[in-house]
Amino acid sequence: MSGLLANWADWLPQLWKGLLVSLQLTGAALAAGLPLGLALALLSAARAPWLKWPAIALVEVGRGAPALVVLQMVYYGLPSAGISVSAFVSGATALALTTGAYTSEILRAGINAVPKGEVEAGHALGMTPGDVLRFVVIPQGVIFAVPALMGFAILIFQATALTFTIAIPELLARAYRIGAATYLYFDVLVLAGLVYLAITIPFGWLVNRAARRLGSHLG
Amino acid sequence: MTETFLALLKGVPVALAVTGLSFLIGAVLGIPLVLMRRARSVLPRLAARIYIDVMRGIPPVVWLFIIFFGLGSGIVTLSPFQAAVLGMGLISAAYLAEIYRGGFLTLPAGQNAAAVALGLTRLDTLRYVLAPQVLRVSVPPMATFLVSLLKDTTVASTIGVRDVMMLVTQQAQAAGGGFAPFIAAAVLYILLSIPVAALARAMDARMRRRITA
Amino acid sequence: MTEAQSPAAPPVVSLEKINIRYGNHHAIRDVSLDIARGEVVAMVGPSGAGKSTLLRAINMLETPVSGTLRVGDFTFSLDHRLGQKDLLALRRSTGMVFQQFNLFPHMTVGKNISLPQMRVLGRSRAEADKVTARLLERVHLADKAAAYPARLSGGQQQRIAIARALALDPKVMLFDEPTSALDPELGLEVLAVMRELAADGMTMIVVTHEIAFAAEVADRVIVMADGEIIEQGPPDQVIRNPKLPRTQKFFRAILDRH
Ligand SMILES: Nc1ncnc2c1ncn2[C@@H]1O[C@H](COP(=O)(O)OP(=O)(O)OP(=O)(O)O)[C@@H](O)[C@H]1O
Ligand SMILES: [Mg+2]
Repeated sequence: MSGLLANWADWLPQLWKGLLVSLQLTGAALAAGLPLGLALALLSAARAPWLKWPAIALVEVGRGAPALVVLQMVYYGLPSAGISVSAFVSGATALALTTGAYTSEILRAGINAVPKGEVEAGHALGMTPGDVLRFVVIPQGVIFAVPALMGFAILIFQATALTFTIAIPELLARAYRIGAATYLYFDVLVLAGLVYLAITIPFGWLVNRAARRLGSHLG
Repeated sequence: MTETFLALLKGVPVALAVTGLSFLIGAVLGIPLVLMRRARSVLPRLAARIYIDVMRGIPPVVWLFIIFFGLGSGIVTLSPFQAAVLGMGLISAAYLAEIYRGGFLTLPAGQNAAAVALGLTRLDTLRYVLAPQVLRVSVPPMATFLVSLLKDTTVASTIGVRDVMMLVTQQAQAAGGGFAPFIAAAVLYILLSIPVAALARAMDARMRRRITA
Repeated sequence: MTEAQSPAAPPVVSLEKINIRYGNHHAIRDVSLDIARGEVVAMVGPSGAGKSTLLRAINMLETPVSGTLRVGDFTFSLDHRLGQKDLLALRRSTGMVFQQFNLFPHMTVGKNISLPQMRVLGRSRAEADKVTARLLERVHLADKAAAYPARLSGGQQQRIAIARALALDPKVMLFDEPTSALDPELGLEVLAVMRELAADGMTMIVVTHEIAFAAEVADRVIVMADGEIIEQGPPDQVIRNPKLPRTQKFFRAILDRH
């Protein structure tokens, strides 16, 4: 037991570095993916069919395709299209695409929850459709979506573990490397699992709190 | 493209087997879990909660690594397929228990009292009164979960299960990159999820008819 | 109200043979109506008569399938469709107050009133805030600028909604059952503000079930049924001595309820 703890203490700095990479990937995926999701949500509600249908198709394919497929597609596809980027950029791009597809649905639900009367009031005041979106619909729709978006952030954080397949030195990749070196796979992988839990469980509490607060706010 | 697509089809039975078996394990194990989660005493409630939070809080691929490489290094040796089914099944149990719990929450308040007033035992109440209603409202979220499970089982390829995902990566490596094999795989997964969704809708409609008729 | 009687002044709102359909349902049938400057019109009629639809046609929240609509300098007809700019200008010149208030809940009361001025009229923040302060005074809620709508009573929210519409200097104010969602006492606060507005010479069209208010404040009462104006005239005549049996029945039913 003390041997296990000593090993864990030895490995933790390595895993910590991996965790930082995982968190950076999460941040990059959300930073690029959320605006994409908002754009897709707005486009898929557009009246013009040439805006609407491509957006809906992108969302459906992005949600229907496994995240791992999207990841490998970006990783193997970009170089063959003449674009060479680092594995980190490939990984972040792929996760951002997945984020965009999923969050567009979440944001669309939030936007639909904005009462129609308020939209009408904006129009009746002579606000442009763009202003109604910007000042009335989007700020409220995004707030309604916050708990679900936070829940999704946990999922995309977990999905960063997939990028180990494209050789990004994130948490799982580092744990596996230690396992291969020491042959103590079980011990180090369990430690990696605990590190994931140390992020996902407290964040899950925050999500619940946000949902409750929003619920009482709306009620 | 067609050739790639046909080659990928060879991985479909494996992908479906992993998905189907782990869903089955999850659907069965989810029942005792949800009963523990709703138990009167603290201990089973706490145990179920910890199980659910821990299973859902660690990425599936990490679970498969813990089971395949971790347990595999000297504790219990499983084939990649067995490890994938076991891991995804244990994870599914956590998600499905939460879906069942959501179903219990939608039950009208009087159902339990009415059954008790009729003199039904707790087990009979559960079996004949509560469970059928819970199952009915749980079908749509279970189907949604099944579709996402189908996609999540692609991680089985990382421990060597020869599913669609494994084949597509091999194809891409052999072809020296390209989008095409992955687009074929994406299309294939989307096609596979359509019948699941349709089946769920049909089941849901049938149960609804039974209730209202 | 002298202006209302002056025959030379052009009407502020003029509808000519307006028709509105929802699919197969013919909601407004060939309605023509002129509203003079400073006139206060009460619109009454049974549920489903088309009162809201007609009111919402005036600021083009509903689009007529035929007929001509004039509001101030803007004319809409099928062969004279409005561009986006004119449509917005038309809406700017009409203020609308809804049954459900429809304040923006994520903005303070002050911002609810100031933001449209800045975005729609291009006023500076300082200018807008000055107008807002004056209007809050006018609806007797000067101390609520920093409050969020959810903290206010329904009556207070509706008065804020009136201030928000007034802030854009509309030529005509449209009210769609502004007190129907309110408890009677709270409704009285709102009616008091509307009464002051009428006394100040604002042109107003008010869809309402408040017959006493209509009798006291309106210059003209319009009775609608089945998408048509079936009777109209001064309140004394329409409310106390309606011509049509249908109108008589309608007012009797309302009076019986009180
Ligand atoms: N968006 C719509 N789609 C279809 N039909 C509508 C729509 N809005 C109104 N109608 C129909 O048009 C008719 C007139 O409705 P309107 O709301 O103008 O009546 P109203 O006189 O304001 O009634 P109330 O006193 O109930 O508010 C009704 O038969 C209504 O069902
Ligand atoms: Mg109405």
